[in-house]
Amino acid sequence: MIHIPARRCPPLVDLIHLRSQTALFVTLLLVSSAGSVLAVTQARVPLWQATAGALLVLLPPFVRKWREDARRYGGAAMALSMLLAFQGFHTIEHIVQWIQYHILRWPSFLSNGLLSAANSEWVHFVWNWGFLAVCIFLVCAGMRGWWGWLLLAVATFHTLEHTYLMWRFQVTLRELGTLGVTDLQPQGLPGFFGRDGWLATADITQNTFLCRLPGFATAPRIDVHFWWNVSEMALLLPAANDFMRRLNAAQDVA
Amino acid sequence: MPLRTSHEPCGSFVARDLPHITRAATRIPALYDSNGAGLAVGDLDGDGDQDIVLANLAGANTLLWNEGALRFRAEPLGNGRIRGLAIVDVDGDGLLDIVGTRQFDKPVWWRNTGVDDADRFVELTLPDVHNWFYAQTWADLEGDGDLDLIVASYDAEIQKQQGLIFQYRGGGVGVFVYERRGDGYISHRLTDQADALAIALPDLNGDGRRDVWVANDFNRLDDVWVQGAAIDEWTRFTLPERISENPMSLDLGDIDNDGVAELFATDMKPVRKDEATMARWLPAMRRLTKPLTSADPQYAENMLLVHSAAGRWRNEAYERRIDSTGWSWSGVFGDLDRDGWLDLYVVNGMIAAGLLDYLPGNELVEENVALRNAGNGRFVAAPEWGLGAQRSGRGMAMVDLDGDGDLDIVVNNLMTPAQLFENRLCGGASLLVDLRMPESANTHALGAELSLVTDRGRMTRDVRPTAGYLSGTAAQVHFGFPADAVLERIEVRWPDGLVSVIEAPPRQHRLLIVRT
Repeated sequence: MIHIPARRCPPLVDLIHLRSQTALFVTLLLVSSAGSVLAVTQARVPLWQATAGALLVLLPPFVRKWREDARRYGGAAMALSMLLAFQGFHTIEHIVQWIQYHILRWPSFLSNGLLSAANSEWVHFVWNWGFLAVCIFLVCAGMRGWWGWLLLAVATFHTLEHTYLMWRFQVTLRELGTLGVTDLQPQGLPGFFGRDGWLATADITQNTFLCRLPGFATAPRIDVHFWWNVSEMALLLPAANDFMRRLNAAQDVA
Repeated sequence: MPLRTSHEPCGSFVARDLPHITRAATRIPALYDSNGAGLAVGDLDGDGDQDIVLANLAGANTLLWNEGALRFRAEPLGNGRIRGLAIVDVDGDGLLDIVGTRQFDKPVWWRNTGVDDADRFVELTLPDVHNWFYAQTWADLEGDGDLDLIVASYDAEIQKQQGLIFQYRGGGVGVFVYERRGDGYISHRLTDQADALAIALPDLNGDGRRDVWVANDFNRLDDVWVQGAAIDEWTRFTLPERISENPMSLDLGDIDNDGVAELFATDMKPVRKDEATMARWLPAMRRLTKPLTSADPQYAENMLLVHSAAGRWRNEAYERRIDSTGWSWSGVFGDLDRDGWLDLYVVNGMIAAGLLDYLPGNELVEENVALRNAGNGRFVAAPEWGLGAQRSGRGMAMVDLDGDGDLDIVVNNLMTPAQLFENRLCGGASLLVDLRMPESANTHALGAELSLVTDRGRMTRDVRPTAGYLSGTAAQVHFGFPADAVLERIEVRWPDGLVSVIEAPPRQHRLLIVRT
């Protein structure tokens, strides 16, 4: 049994705290940030490559932290800790993308966040299924309660939308192939929600309030996926806190 | 004059081919022959029937004399290379003339001599109008009783033809207002560059004066000006936050019967968003359009500008389900089912070598779209009207061609025969109004506004020479209304501001109102 000292802060903070890796992380963060800025501004390195490099540099302290989470709290907590980190960065990506488009006024095809090479239908499809799989695992491991179930529901619908988008992508790609067009990737097609999405254009919704729902039927794709991810993050945080509270309580009893 | 009672079976429009095909210089049209040509309708011989003029690019233009009962006698007019047409009384002699904008030349004026033989039309040029223009419209901008000309160029085509010389010469022609002075014109240049496909004259600030909206193709922002106190005073108008990116056509119509006309522009956006359709569209759109920032007000979709009570113009095409009608050209309002609400018809299609070479015949085959106004400016598709032709339509006009009071439709297709759609919807009733001002040079009262007041509400229309894409519309005003509506009066606001009132006008009649 591992003796856990008395806690003075929310369980979630305990989980995400870098603990012994804090100093190393801060140092590497400063170095990688400075390096990225120099690489982009002086050496004309693409932003996504500089970002990928910085993330690689920051990976070791996180790996060590996650291994410590596993020792302290168990495998489920480690999975949750990893999910928080990855989804946190993913949400930052969408925030950056939103800023690029709405604040910096970049064209939509340039508004790809920090890791532009990762802004593809395949990446979103795999990412969302992975996120959903981990959420299901965590719910089975005890991340239940209102927040957990809501998170699962939102993640499920978000994944269904990306599955629909992947299906559209593949079918359109095949149709392009039959026309002899092989140099065009049909990225960025509308999904269920948003402007020109299924909700706005399906025969079944025409002449109903559904096809004109503000936001749901009118928002650009960048906004739709911004809100999906912000919602997931907003639900993940309290769900994670609840899970850790239950975990700690169970360990204290043990 | 009472309108003819139709005895044809009712149901939908009946399509007929006309003896005219607009051809391009090459077997498969290249850019910008792919833009096709327009047409115009008007009573050229004063016999009470509306005649048709169809422009051509490679080959003679066609004049179709209406001989009644939808029979037409065709005769050639000029040698082609005509883009847009308008039928207006240029010289104020009471006879309607024909004006065409030309590819790579200044506009042509076919002056109507009134002689009833092959020499009726004499080919001239407009005095003092020397530039190459694409889009045109006419209006009495100053209210001085004569017709001024508003024209704009399509620089992309000129540049393609001339190459670097065009840039060396300044790189643009632009937008001009030609003020009529006596027998000539004084030019006022509003801007020195344009890629104009259409011009409309809405009253944007509610001051009773016509303003100018020039719809520019490609990524060039539309040019819009508000008229000041004098014809040479023009102020830039702040564009709404969402407009069309590649507007092909402009039309004005009071779709919600609130007394203020809405402005509609067509663009290129597929009706259906299924994967097969997207695959046919995406390669061309990627080649043709440039990604825009979120600060750019242009979006590749139709535009419907609606004037709010607060005085602002807002694009409501998406909310009203008319944002996407296909690869659209002419889009024109008209009360096709005579229920008192303006419907919308849009002609579609594209043929372009180089741009659509991945499709059979280099053609994006698209159906024309008819949209019924369901009341208060909301639209629903009306495929049952039988207007879904797939002939790559360009210019289009609506006018009563058979004297039965309903609006028939003429379409100038590209590379296929032009079509006439005879209206056999059979609902409602009509009133057609012709205005004349014989003591003015604006003999057909262009710019006049008419309101028909009934027990069902008020309908407002205006007399204008052009509508849609490259096409002239008849000066005759059409009112449709439910068959049992009670007609209380017609109010005519003449171009000089004076108002005439006709009490209890007869239904199912053609009225000729002469201002003396």
